Amino acid sequence: MSEIKKIKNLKEFSTSADRFEGANLLCPGCAHSIIVREVLNATNDDLILAASTGCLEVCTAVYPYTSWDASWIHIGFENGSSAVAGAEAMYKALKTKGRLKQPDRVPKFVAFGGDGATYDIGFQWISGCFERGHNMMYVCLDNEVYANTGGQRSSSTPIGASVTTTPAGRISYGEKKNKKDMMAIMAAHGAPYVAQVAPNKWKDMVAKIQKGFAAEGPVYINAMSACTTEWKFAPEDTIHISDLATDSLVFPLYEIIDGTQLNITYRPKNIVPVRDYLGAQGRFKHLFTKQNEYLIDEWQKRIDAKWDYLQRREEASV
Amino acid sequence: MADTIELRDIEVWDGNMAASHALRQVQVDVVAAYPITPSTPIVEGYAGFKANGYVDGEFVMTESEHGAMSCCIGAAAAGGRVATATSSQGFALMLETLYSASGMRLPIVLNLVNRAIGAPLNVNGDHSDMYMGRDSGWIQFGAYSPQEAYDLNFIAFKVSEDHDVRLPAIVNQDGFMTSHTAQGVHTLSDEAAYNFVGEYKPMNDMLDLDHPVTHGVQTEEDWHFEHKARQQHALMTAVIPKIQAAFDDFEKLTGRKYNIVESYDMDDAEVAVICMGTSVETAREVALEMRAQHGIKAGVIGIRVFRPWPLEQIAAALKNVKAVATLDRSSPHGAMGALFNEVSGSLFNTDTKAVLTNYIYGLGGRDLTKAHLVSIFTDLKANADAAKPTTPLQQYIGLRGPKLSFF
Amino acid sequence: MEKKGWDEFEIGTILRTFEGAVSDIATTLPENRPYSQSSSFTASVADWRIEKPLFNKDYCIDCQFCWIYCPDMSIISRDKKMVGIDFDHCKGCGICVQVCPTNPKSLLMFSEQKDEEAALAEWPKKEKKDQSEEPKED
Repeated sequence: MSEIKKIKNLKEFSTSADRFEGANLLCPGCAHSIIVREVLNATNDDLILAASTGCLEVCTAVYPYTSWDASWIHIGFENGSSAVAGAEAMYKALKTKGRLKQPDRVPKFVAFGGDGATYDIGFQWISGCFERGHNMMYVCLDNEVYANTGGQRSSSTPIGASVTTTPAGRISYGEKKNKKDMMAIMAAHGAPYVAQVAPNKWKDMVAKIQKGFAAEGPVYINAMSACTTEWKFAPEDTIHISDLATDSLVFPLYEIIDGTQLNITYRPKNIVPVRDYLGAQGRFKHLFTKQNEYLIDEWQKRIDAKWDYLQRREEASV
Repeated sequence: MADTIELRDIEVWDGNMAASHALRQVQVDVVAAYPITPSTPIVEGYAGFKANGYVDGEFVMTESEHGAMSCCIGAAAAGGRVATATSSQGFALMLETLYSASGMRLPIVLNLVNRAIGAPLNVNGDHSDMYMGRDSGWIQFGAYSPQEAYDLNFIAFKVSEDHDVRLPAIVNQDGFMTSHTAQGVHTLSDEAAYNFVGEYKPMNDMLDLDHPVTHGVQTEEDWHFEHKARQQHALMTAVIPKIQAAFDDFEKLTGRKYNIVESYDMDDAEVAVICMGTSVETAREVALEMRAQHGIKAGVIGIRVFRPWPLEQIAAALKNVKAVATLDRSSPHGAMGALFNEVSGSLFNTDTKAVLTNYIYGLGGRDLTKAHLVSIFTDLKANADAAKPTTPLQQYIGLRGPKLSFF
Repeated sequence: MEKKGWDEFEIGTILRTFEGAVSDIATTLPENRPYSQSSSFTASVADWRIEKPLFNKDYCIDCQFCWIYCPDMSIISRDKKMVGIDFDHCKGCGICVQVCPTNPKSLLMFSEQKDEEAALAEWPKKEKKDQSEEPKED
């Protein structure tokens, strides 16, 4: 069992040597990259990585370049999880048979996928991997849209967002359905650890990633990924928008242990109105009209109810 | 270390049992699979071996066939011996990943127990799944019996894992007719079987932690053509010689001789049928009867290697024949049968002036009987004598209702 | 990167990040890694920029916010000190400037052509009010 990398503070963390390289094709200001850096830098262990088709994969592995400093595999859209699960199974087999090339080193198996791959098309595959209990971590880079293909809705797209396949128009306010609760679904698989993280709260994220790596079995991490291109804000504001998301509780940061113990891990000193979060992004611009502004109130109510629910569950220890 | 089993020299096995023993004997590192009729007993047999300590590799029961092949690809890229089994709908479901496996040049062996693809839903044997995989870039072997299903698994692993090949391979066998029909199978000992295939030699393995490698990279219009050309080059030049070498080694080990194209009584044949699977043996019996009872010089060509398509060997086998029929056990859906098209392509531009016709038969498990074959050979004799088709180009045989034929 | 023929590369679109064996990449700084030509580390996206961040050491407190929030690994930090910017990999997104907490900021965006010496000479003084906009110099 390898030692957990000690990260007391940001200065100590800054001595990390990134295993993810620049000159990739991700948009300037892309949060995916910040998340990947925090995940990979949380450990010094060897890594076996996979990615599903999506922004991360398409921008970091286009022949003749790779941006990955660890072994990495991409197969298709649905199956980043299965790719890493298969590698994990091979690791176990080779270990049993004494054929590992570096038998003293235990790699961590991590799959990355967008919300498209995770919430929608790859859902069955992830569910299978989790049910089978592979020793792996799945990190969903949740930008609430199929960003790579130009911004179509996913089941993670929240109500009222205007995206290309649920655009706001004269008679529509955009996405009609509420965001799927992947955290609850993955926790219900009995996974030892699931957690919601955001890249602006690096300490919270790194602590959770380390907890995830220390757990035995499948771990699900839902990472909020503010998308400058599809959420429509200036590239320099990625961290600022992430702050609005976590401080308005639109993206509450919490963890669920063994499917039952829910802990809220971040309580904002000043809770920001949801209105401020929505108002900072072009994809919600149309909500600020007479016709649609009731939706902003509904948003606030929904976020308040969810926060209330999380607190009650935390207190009740279920 | 997994326990070994002392097999008898001849075991009474159906095709499924033969395949699962072969997988046990080559000591597969990861089997990721999903059950589907009629291949299910392969994974059930393998699970039984695992539960009783005869397998120490991993056995992953996935949530679908697409998941199974996805795990197989991850495992193969990680670096070890990988296998699975499926049929029909399951094969169709994993089709996307088949292209990935071959494009990524990963050795994986798939036992495909041939079954009809719906609609309508059908669990019985025909070749529609085999045909669906034609363009996927996999090597495809055809077994006609449980013995051959067993033997060809060893050939498949050996060829697929060769560093000059590195392409996944399918071993086909007829659903129910081979998979569930028991026969005496000459066995190899666990040791002899494993040693024939040899230890897995890793290449580009992700689990070599000192040499991180990126698998599954995207290529656009500036690189894709070159990568696909490379894959085609391997399929067209490296594979058949390696298969022949493996066949030669296998013959030395067991006395059983396999050929890239199986020719039966073709030396002086004036008429021939070309087919795959269990039909080959039926056709061989009828060909001998046609010679003995009707004086018709009949021969049979069995397709042993379906992919890569052995164009030159097929042309050579049919060189002096006057009339040929391809028997296709799959619904061609608006075209001539696949074998008809591949064979005509092989004979075009040669001097062979054979009359070529096509029979569609046996869909969804409908039997091909000796009587059917007698009528086919009789048609062929008439074609040979007339030096042109005396029947429509495509005929359905064994079908109830008015005669169905085209062209 | 030179466009190779179909017979000149590894099969299966395999790419190797490094030349030869590497153990413990996680504790090896980039300048000591044997990157191959296939690693995007060896490529440049400098031509993406229309603006670039410039760094003023005088005001920097080495908080490392810029290091962690840079999506492109372009803030170079060594021994817990901010050293400079990797202009091969910086895309000019401006996050580093946004998150810099000092007053005046230790990082500011300038036009791509701006001379570094000139920029440092023109650096704004400490602001009395809250900074809500990043000051843009030309």
